[in-house]
Amino acid sequence: MSRFSTRFVFAAAALLTATSVQAADFSEGSTAKEWGLYGEEKAMFSGKVVDIMCELSGNCADNCGDGRRNLGVVRDADNALVMVLKNAQSAFNGATADLLPFCNKAVDVDGVMIGDDEDSPSRFYMVQKIRAKGDAEWTKANKWTKDWAKKNPDAKGKGPWFRRDPRVLKQLAAEGHFGLGVEFDQQYLKDNE
Amino acid sequence: MFTRSKSFLAAAGIATTSLFASPAFATGETIEVTGEVIDTWCYYSGVMGFSEAVRGTSHHTCALWCAAGGIPVGIRTEDGAVYMVLKIEDEDPLAQTDKVMELASDEIRAKGTHYKRDGVNYILVDKVVENKGITFRSHEDYDSVPPFSAPKKPKG
Repeated sequence: MSRFSTRFVFAAAALLTATSVQAADFSEGSTAKEWGLYGEEKAMFSGKVVDIMCELSGNCADNCGDGRRNLGVVRDADNALVMVLKNAQSAFNGATADLLPFCNKAVDVDGVMIGDDEDSPSRFYMVQKIRAKGDAEWTKANKWTKDWAKKNPDAKGKGPWFRRDPRVLKQLAAEGHFGLGVEFDQQYLKDNE
Repeated sequence: MFTRSKSFLAAAGIATTSLFASPAFATGETIEVTGEVIDTWCYYSGVMGFSEAVRGTSHHTCALWCAAGGIPVGIRTEDGAVYMVLKIEDEDPLAQTDKVMELASDEIRAKGTHYKRDGVNYILVDKVVENKGITFRSHEDYDSVPPFSAPKKPKG
């Protein structure tokens, strides 16, 4: 390698490390659906599903917390801890139900990296498909709603889950839709008749 | 940037980060932060609009939906830094209890242990020292975000 090339490698590597290790391009081969999100980049990679608190602090729980903890994927290529915010569903669903069956296991994931906030330039992941490493078949990351229905058998009814969720309904009854009280909601409805 | 140089930079980044890979467990730093408990998906993804519209009163109902849906919550400080919450006092954040719901959109002061890895701030909240409730009255500019999260008249 020439002197110029060597300098370029070190300069580029230093720049990348200084900004974010998550800036690498993992889009090759991805078939993820585009959502038009901030800083969206398709990303398919291999790694290990982890309980993030355990990974960072050593405070670990059986089966990655059994759905009570936030999960992520430690990427094989660069050891980056990628926090997963979302699954492939479109109704306010996280990804824990989809990742939990693979706790501490090697996986391939396909989805999109997001985030380009000026003040907090962190990058996060939306997982759309997952498979155990070595498997041919992918599983869609859309388990959340069925998982919720099993946990909330008394919340059956029409409409999406978030209109029937007991915890949401309890909080809305206590503090209203804007968090300013139920009386504020009533006035809002009068003003918008 | 054309493909070849993008691939080259990615390879250089991977090589470098492998040299400086994080230890198995990091030592956390005790900190105190003041900020709003936010719905991190809507905040970072822009799926519902830009960041001011997806905080505070305008986005409170959606923040409840996302918290109940298992989307991680964060604490956003006044200077824009966001700390992803991995524990709240004695509870795991996705434990299906009311704690994370009660804190949604509130401005809190919290003591805890801070970790940073790969450009992301994390916090294990030991104690919520103060809760001022919802202080960012974003509905005055943005109404309800998304619009279908606005209160509805009861049927009948």
